[in-house]
Amino acid sequence: MFGRSRSWVGGGHGKAARSIHSLDHLKYMYHVLTKNTTVTDHNRNLLVETIRSITEILIWGDQNDSSVFDFFLEKNMFVFFLNILRQKSGRYVCVQLLQTLNILFENISHETSLYYLLSNNYVNSIIVHKFDFSDEEIMAYYISFLKTLSLKLNNHTVHFFYNEHTNDFALYTEAIKFFNHPESMVRIAVRTITLNVYKVDNQPMLHYIRDKTAVPYFSNLVWFIGSHVIELDNCVQTDEEHRNRGKLSDLVAEHLDHLHYLNDILIINCEFLNDVLTDHLLNRLFLPLYVYSLVNQDKGGERPKISLQVSLYLLSQVFLIIHYAPLVNSLAEVILNGDLSVFSSKVEQDIQRSSAKSSIRCFIKPTETLERSLEINKHKGKKRLQKRPNYKNVGEEEEEERGLENTQEDPDKAKGTEGSSKGIKASGENEEIEMVIMERCKMSELSISVVTEQNTTDEEKSAAASGSEMTNWSRPFLDMVYNAQDCAEDDYYALFVLCLLYAMSQNKGIDPVKLERIQLPAQHAEEKSSYNHVLAERLIRIMNYAAQPDGKVRLATLELGCLLLKQLVLSKSGSIIKDVHLACLEGAREESVHLLRRFYKGEEIFLDMFEDEYRSMTSKPMNVEYLMMDASILLPPTGTPLTGIDFVKRLPCGDVERTRRAIRVFFMLRSLSLHLRDEPETQLPLTREEDLIKTDDVLDLNNSDLIACTVITKDGGQVQRFLAVDIYQMSLVEPDVARLGWGVVKFAGLLQDMQVTGVEDDSRALNIIIHKPASSPHSKPFPILQATFIFSDHIRCIIAKQRLAKGRIQARRMKMQRIAALLDLPVQPSTEVMGFGHSSASAAQHLPFRFYDQSRRGSCDPAVQRSVFASVDKVPGFAVAQCINQPNPSPLSSPSPSSSGSGSTGHCDSVTASSTSTPSAAHSPSVDDSSAPEQPPIIFSSQMMLVDETSSAASKSGKNPEVETANLSPSLIPAQQPTISLLSDDNADALSVESLTLVPPIDPHSIHTFSCIPQSSLPSEVCGVTEGEGSDQSQQADYDEQ
Amino acid sequence: MAYAYLFKYIIIGDTGVGKSCLLLQFTDKRFQPVHDLTIGVEFGARMITIDGKQIKLQIWDTAGQESFRSITRSYYRGAAGALLVYDITRRDTFNHLTTWLEDARQHSNSNMVIMLIGNKSDLESRREVKKEEGEAFAREHGLIFMETSAKTASNVEEAFINTAKEIYEKIQEGVFDINNEANGIKIGPQHAASNATLAGNQGGQQAGGGCC
Repeated sequence: MFGRSRSWVGGGHGKAARSIHSLDHLKYMYHVLTKNTTVTDHNRNLLVETIRSITEILIWGDQNDSSVFDFFLEKNMFVFFLNILRQKSGRYVCVQLLQTLNILFENISHETSLYYLLSNNYVNSIIVHKFDFSDEEIMAYYISFLKTLSLKLNNHTVHFFYNEHTNDFALYTEAIKFFNHPESMVRIAVRTITLNVYKVDNQPMLHYIRDKTAVPYFSNLVWFIGSHVIELDNCVQTDEEHRNRGKLSDLVAEHLDHLHYLNDILIINCEFLNDVLTDHLLNRLFLPLYVYSLVNQDKGGERPKISLQVSLYLLSQVFLIIHYAPLVNSLAEVILNGDLSVFSSKVEQDIQRSSAKSSIRCFIKPTETLERSLEINKHKGKKRLQKRPNYKNVGEEEEEERGLENTQEDPDKAKGTEGSSKGIKASGENEEIEMVIMERCKMSELSISVVTEQNTTDEEKSAAASGSEMTNWSRPFLDMVYNAQDCAEDDYYALFVLCLLYAMSQNKGIDPVKLERIQLPAQHAEEKSSYNHVLAERLIRIMNYAAQPDGKVRLATLELGCLLLKQLVLSKSGSIIKDVHLACLEGAREESVHLLRRFYKGEEIFLDMFEDEYRSMTSKPMNVEYLMMDASILLPPTGTPLTGIDFVKRLPCGDVERTRRAIRVFFMLRSLSLHLRDEPETQLPLTREEDLIKTDDVLDLNNSDLIACTVITKDGGQVQRFLAVDIYQMSLVEPDVARLGWGVVKFAGLLQDMQVTGVEDDSRALNIIIHKPASSPHSKPFPILQATFIFSDHIRCIIAKQRLAKGRIQARRMKMQRIAALLDLPVQPSTEVMGFGHSSASAAQHLPFRFYDQSRRGSCDPAVQRSVFASVDKVPGFAVAQCINQPNPSPLSSPSPSSSGSGSTGHCDSVTASSTSTPSAAHSPSVDDSSAPEQPPIIFSSQMMLVDETSSAASKSGKNPEVETANLSPSLIPAQQPTISLLSDDNADALSVESLTLVPPIDPHSIHTFSCIPQSSLPSEVCGVTEGEGSDQSQQADYDEQ
Repeated sequence: MAYAYLFKYIIIGDTGVGKSCLLLQFTDKRFQPVHDLTIGVEFGARMITIDGKQIKLQIWDTAGQESFRSITRSYYRGAAGALLVYDITRRDTFNHLTTWLEDARQHSNSNMVIMLIGNKSDLESRREVKKEEGEAFAREHGLIFMETSAKTASNVEEAFINTAKEIYEKIQEGVFDINNEANGIKIGPQHAASNATLAGNQGGQQAGGGCC
């Protein structure tokens, strides 16, 4: 069809389409317009195409030829547009015109061109034109047009829109009429427009905004938000079986949108605008609705209320999003320090309000319906107020009348003019305006009085607090906040309270002094010596509940609790937590260990879960703002995943989830405990990225067991590689041209994530797939290696297959043992062990850890890893040779001195080992009991022992102090859970893999010397702790006395 | 105006990647791309047909609103589809994709269909981002991917329509709650037949801009 219309135009012009962008063509278009001043069915298409072409030429002119604009202005071509518009020419033409205008104003790049277009006030006439807004497309184009214009606003262009003398600002006043339009995109556009307007730093304009529009707009906006909140609350209260979640999440998102919008206004920091807005928000929404609902749950009454959880939730959102000091300070003041006098002053406020209500028509009435009627009245006032300038703005008087008729036709607009006859409109409007201003004054008076009242009570309070005159002085809001932290039944409210406290402490606008009054430190508080004991105790109680087998505390609550506690007791110089609290916390941590032990199983999946939980927990630390965007937490905590609620925000369902939960609780409390004791995490994650062999690493492969193979990747690529199996990884290397016997890693992948399968018709080939665990919920686990390996004969193929398969089992078993160590399983070998054969496994596994203890510290030195890798396949006797190798580390991969590497590598605390040696008889049978297939861990452990000794002998480094500190560590954990390093794992596994076939089982004695370390070292520490607890208790007693 | 569904889209990406040009190219074929004219628009609507059903696409460009957080997040939430656009001749626009995507994932409803678009594919000589890189990024993040040129109109139709198809499929699968307009999907007026004669006719002409 448009092909046709083009041909009309082009044909009429008699020239080819390529000259469409030219002044001549514009002249022709002008000619067409002059011939078709009246829109008819016949010329409609022609006109539309003409208007469209003019747009195109104008943009082209703006970019290429300025004479085009001169002609456009000279001929006053905008008038034609207006003229066409006013003929009620129908939707088709309207849409085209609006699109044209959109394109015009969006694409104009030259300021002067823009000024030309704006200079004749035609744009304002178009803005106030009464389009058929019931047509969603016209509405969309219209509001986009206004938005495009608003994006062009600056201190210069604003004068084309705002007329200081007539007090007209059609762009703004017309736009805000749609602030509550049902179509969300329209509402968003309105907000954009208002923000773009407020952003312009033009005092007269902003004064106009404040004096003439701020009160009606903000009061309506606040009401609009408030009614959404009531709806939201309804949605929560009437929910059954989480059926309202969809709707609820929309309402929550809507509330967030509003808060962000309000914050965006406040951030612009237009002071007097902010005053009006703050006043409305505080006194008409946050205090009377949100805060009021905190303490008045049980009472009936006429005032609108929302439920406690909703109120806490919304207040958290407020503090998370809005940081405007005057607003958040006043709000925080009432919540934290509001006492009964504030409360009664609130009642006074109410009285004032009701009296105000009687004096000022429809001010605030506690009941919803009256508020609504207020809103309707306001609405009238606002609309009339806004209309007046619009009409004045219209160039011709007749047009004004037409506009009025249009208004009447429009049902939405009709509301605005309802009840006032058109004839006497002007005078009526003036009254309305005055009334609105009066209201505003009274309101500000009121708000001032409220503020002063609060201030006085503040002073009284601080005086009371310091002079301790009023000991029974109560703070109902704060009490409620504390009490809602009780998690005995569930953590429904506790989560919100924690969020609220967290949000307040993070809020940059709140005066830290306010928070200090309840000893809740702000995020980066200065040095402090005390903290809020009540709060700390409640937080620790939450942690205790969380570590119980049937605890009803969700992970999100626990994580938030940990965050808050850290914030509470950590100061710049370190932790200031009281011993008694630390002891309680350690108790909770102990509980979490016990809890996890119940789920510890030998199954493969446990390891995957353990590592996956760690990964997801560390990669996605809690973001409270995101948490508070989720509507699902507004409904009572549930256990079923069928709701689609994120795992951390609900209770576990089934054994797997209970296991996952126990793992997480363990991680969180462990991390918190280490943090508060200022000790580094040395054992998690089980695999550290930096410890792994990476592509392009250069390794010493002398004496390593290498299997040559051809690797055919999925896409047909084919390369020759050597396959090497390390403890945790398999790698594909190619010889290093620079040095004989060294190899460059071309690929390295974790054995634990590997799948090996034979190839049906080729006994020399293996299919190998290695998946990378999914890093984010949106990405799928994808194979980092998917290839067929072809070996030179079937024997080598079988060897490779066995080595890989056993390596996989071995790698996993190693990690399982380390988890067992983390859970202190060997400490109670007879009772707590679950699954099969763990006593032996865990016993054995201590050796590598003890060994790692030192090596981990050196493991940052690449030389260490490399040299260890070099020892692959060596029998113990080679260990010395390996140490000798170390002084020649690859220059590529080991920049640091090799001596330190060898020292840390080979280092072993043989003194500890021997001194703690205990009879191993008890353990040896358990090796046999182990249902784990083949290869008791003991074997490699013992081998490691040998390596260990030799290397330590070779190095005799001065790392003993380090070891000693490890042993002397005053706390329970480090000693029981020796540090782990891949380095020695490498060693151990490399040996063990080989030993599968080559080496007979070795005397387990040497292993057990290691396994006993924790046992022997434990008692003294337990004593120490017990003493500590004793002193804590005495301290506690002291506190109690005080 | 008769349509079975209305899908709301947003276009996101760095400034200057050609978002509004893509939008205009798709919604109004009458503006033919020529070498000496760069022209775009911030809003457009067009009717397409999928599976025999008339579907109206409403596309909102979010350009120029980055400074207001409230606006960005609201836009994301109100859309059923998003075109995430980068410029293949500017590496930095590709590098910023992660940020855009994080934003989108955070604020949008989880079902929003996101299409990754490498625009300006006509400028092969100045290419800085390989097609494979775009593909890899899309695969990693579960997006649909396409290289387009607003200038030559190459793949522009496909980009918008494939996104619509994806949304449509999700509706068929029942993933989208179509009764909830906050998702950026609207069911067409049921009584459309009665007033379709006039409005539909005119609308068809307007929207037909892209159909011929």
